[in-house]
Amino acid sequence: MTRTETGVFLDAVSLSLGGRKILDRISLHLTERRIGILGRNGSGKTSLLRLIAGLVAPETGTVRIDGIDPFADRKAMLSALGILFQNPDHQILFPTVEEELAFGLIQQGQSPAQALETALTALRKDGRAHWAKAPVTTLSQGQRHYLCLLAVLLMEPRTVLLDEPLAGLDLPTQARLARRFAGLSQRVVTITHDPASLAGADRVLWLEAGQIVADGPAATVIPAFTAEMDRIGERDADADLAG
Amino acid sequence: MERNLTHIALFAALIAVLGLVPQISLASGVPITAQSLGIMLCGTVLGARRGALAVLLFLALVAAGLPLLSGGRGGLGVFAGPSVGYLIGFPVAAFVIGWLMERTTLPVGTAATAASVIGGIGVLYVFGISGLAVMLDKTVTEAAYLGMAYLPGDILKAVLAGLVTQSLARMRPASLLSRG
Amino acid sequence: MLTLTSPVEIWAHRWPAGRKLALLALATTGLFLLSSPLLLCLAFLATLGLILTGGAAFLETSLRLLRPLWPFLLIVALWHLWTGDLAGGTVVMLRMVTAVALANFVTMTTRLSDMILVFQWLARPLQVFGLSSRRLALAFALVIRFIPVMLDRVGKISESWRARSPGNARWRVLVPATLAALDDADRVAEALRARGGAD
Ligand SMILES: Nc1ncnc2c1ncn2[C@@H]1O[C@H](COP(=O)(O)OP(=O)(O)OP(=O)(O)O)[C@@H](O)[C@H]1O
Ligand SMILES: [Mg+2]
Repeated sequence: MTRTETGVFLDAVSLSLGGRKILDRISLHLTERRIGILGRNGSGKTSLLRLIAGLVAPETGTVRIDGIDPFADRKAMLSALGILFQNPDHQILFPTVEEELAFGLIQQGQSPAQALETALTALRKDGRAHWAKAPVTTLSQGQRHYLCLLAVLLMEPRTVLLDEPLAGLDLPTQARLARRFAGLSQRVVTITHDPASLAGADRVLWLEAGQIVADGPAATVIPAFTAEMDRIGERDADADLAG
Repeated sequence: MERNLTHIALFAALIAVLGLVPQISLASGVPITAQSLGIMLCGTVLGARRGALAVLLFLALVAAGLPLLSGGRGGLGVFAGPSVGYLIGFPVAAFVIGWLMERTTLPVGTAATAASVIGGIGVLYVFGISGLAVMLDKTVTEAAYLGMAYLPGDILKAVLAGLVTQSLARMRPASLLSRG
Repeated sequence: MLTLTSPVEIWAHRWPAGRKLALLALATTGLFLLSSPLLLCLAFLATLGLILTGGAAFLETSLRLLRPLWPFLLIVALWHLWTGDLAGGTVVMLRMVTAVALANFVTMTTRLSDMILVFQWLARPLQVFGLSSRRLALAFALVIRFIPVMLDRVGKISESWRARSPGNARWRVLVPATLAALDDADRVAEALRARGGAD
């Protein structure tokens, strides 16, 4: 088996948006089960995730997920990888909960009736059978987030990408979701602003201005990151913003 | 492909929303329905084909039973009523506006206003007034008197459509698909 | 989302949507071919009878849906009183009210989803132009999903305008609202792509 055939593999990947270089020759091979990505606002975390998910094509370099080109082979990607967006309102495509859940399964080749059945079973298992016919607009932010996660997990991808999955949620909801993430059997790549939540991660990446400045076990990367953020926070003005 | 579909769907939703929001008045007390403005924007922003498809999608949902026409009207009844000419004219107007936008080299704002006047008033009125004439059993001239009641408001909307399109072009040049 | 389907279930709800639409098309064509006031009056009474089978609440909603016709009825009535052509006026008014009421009857007794299925079926010939019924279904769902989202957005835009200025936002919501629609279109395209695309 060659190196590119399992996990998330990036080789010298660059990306520009609006004429600016957002990611600069990133090379990575992620095979661990729990991976965290840290970085300041605008450091390129979401862009990296979009590349891995095949939502944008890299400008240069190659991306392979379990050996698949995520941008070109969309059908194969559906079972390889699922992504939870930063904002659930950007992810939900359908007016009702059951339609939203069934869509991904239909895309994977299930018949509409079968997909609906699978979706309803999943809701029932979560004690949320009453959600099925509910318009998504009647769900709270946290509930919509949960719906998006459920929609992704139903498709049983081998890798799950989470973009700040707990931001803006109240503490009990955060705890519930975090438990759910912890229990996932899949490979999970999580973007977060909260280093503490990555304490149990197998590997942590620190992204800064489109480059990886640190990459290693949680125990070494997190203290370095926290110290640097504290140092920057001490300064009065954010000198970086002007540049 | 996905982007085509989502632009068409989101602008169909925009037409609906512009017909539903009550706040859009030019000055306090002079309400205008922004719905036909939405039709114009479909043409000026999305171009001929996508613009017309967005309007058709909107009308299909109205026909299917959603009360999305300004004033909360909808259902099959509106297609059997005297205003049916305007409804038929909507997608044609968007198409003509988009077609003109795609071809003219005038500055964006001027082009959008002119296209909206030609498509959103000229073309639309031909359909609308013909519809009134047929449904009310009047001559076209007689129906035209009736149709002209909307003219001042529609001229304002064409100017607004021009201004909005110009701002979009300035703030997000790549977003004007009609000029792509 | 609020639809015009009547919450009062009557017998016609159980009829297939396709049959109702076909009958409506026939009846409407018939109405426009008729020009005798007597026959149109009969058609009007028949339609009224049809609506009355739904009961009082159903009738009330039907009447409410006819309200936008008042200005036109008034104009036609005044016009024909002026010209003295009372028979002609009666024909126009009866035909208009009957056609609209009949069409509303079908709308009120058909669920939105059933009507959309009929439309998808009707649009099948368009597949040669690349409009698959799957894509059409997706488009319908997206519009229904995003109307409340965008309404909410426009509300927030006006609020944030009011929070920082003495007046109302009025037409100034147009640019941000349109920009938001464009941005949403891009994001939704991405979300769609993330789950296998539109085809
Ligand atoms: N569509 C775009 N066009 C131009 N520039 C963009 C676009 N999207 C993102 N950027 C820029 O790319 C950089 C990285 O953005 P990205 O969203 O990846 O950051 P992030 O690390 O996820 O930030 P946050 O923590 O705020 O979510 C930012 O400087 C941003 O301004
Ligand atoms: Mg981000």
